Amino acid sequence: MPSSHPSAGAEAAGPTIIRVVTALPDLEALLQSITLKTTGGACVFAGLVRGETHRDQPHETTRLEYEAYVPMAEAKLAQVAEEIRQRWPDIEGLALVHRVGVMEVGEPIVYVACTSAHRDRGLFDAAKYGIDRLKEIVPIWKKEVGPSGETWVEGDYHPQAGE
Amino acid sequence: MKLKVLLFAHLKEKAGTREAEVEVPAGASAGAVKARLGELYPGLRPMLDRVLMAVNQEYVSDDTLVSEGAEIALFPPVSGG
Repeated sequence: MPSSHPSAGAEAAGPTIIRVVTALPDLEALLQSITLKTTGGACVFAGLVRGETHRDQPHETTRLEYEAYVPMAEAKLAQVAEEIRQRWPDIEGLALVHRVGVMEVGEPIVYVACTSAHRDRGLFDAAKYGIDRLKEIVPIWKKEVGPSGETWVEGDYHPQAGE
Repeated sequence: MKLKVLLFAHLKEKAGTREAEVEVPAGASAGAVKARLGELYPGLRPMLDRVLMAVNQEYVSDDTLVSEGAEIALFPPVSGG
């Protein structure tokens, strides 16, 4: 199931790691794999299972169960990576790794990690774009399990044809 | 033509299958496939106005034409991350 797609295009480009997995890789090892000799900074977004939500509709969460349409999810993760490289050509390494299966409170769900030579090369924006875009177009869904039962969560973004 | 449609998340649960089979006229649109699925699996009907459809792993609109042998998937708006 895991696969990685070598990237093409931008001159700064290092490895692009795209995976839908049942167990996330060790974060330090993941960072090592997207670090070049020219790399001076990394930005990692990690999504975690939140046990108590206070914003919007406050509720408690016991666990989350994630399901993916794996081949399309990996294709769309690769698309997100390509969009990041077009917008921020100074990004060196890039990793978008999402876990599926049952996850307990506090556990990591997804890593979006980017590296670049310096921190002012779009590093933070690239990581933010990565997770925002993943939540729009990558076909993965979560079922939320809490004290009052379980519900599938639906996003609110409707991709255009070909997006 | 006979088509197989992959279902995910609550669509899979409502239909009771992860892979639905539908028969539609050759050259049918994605919207027609969706409507036929609603007839075969009434549990899907309340969700059909907001589900997403992909053909060969690309998002399509209701008026996209579907061909036999294509990989078709129907699923709710995504909620990963």
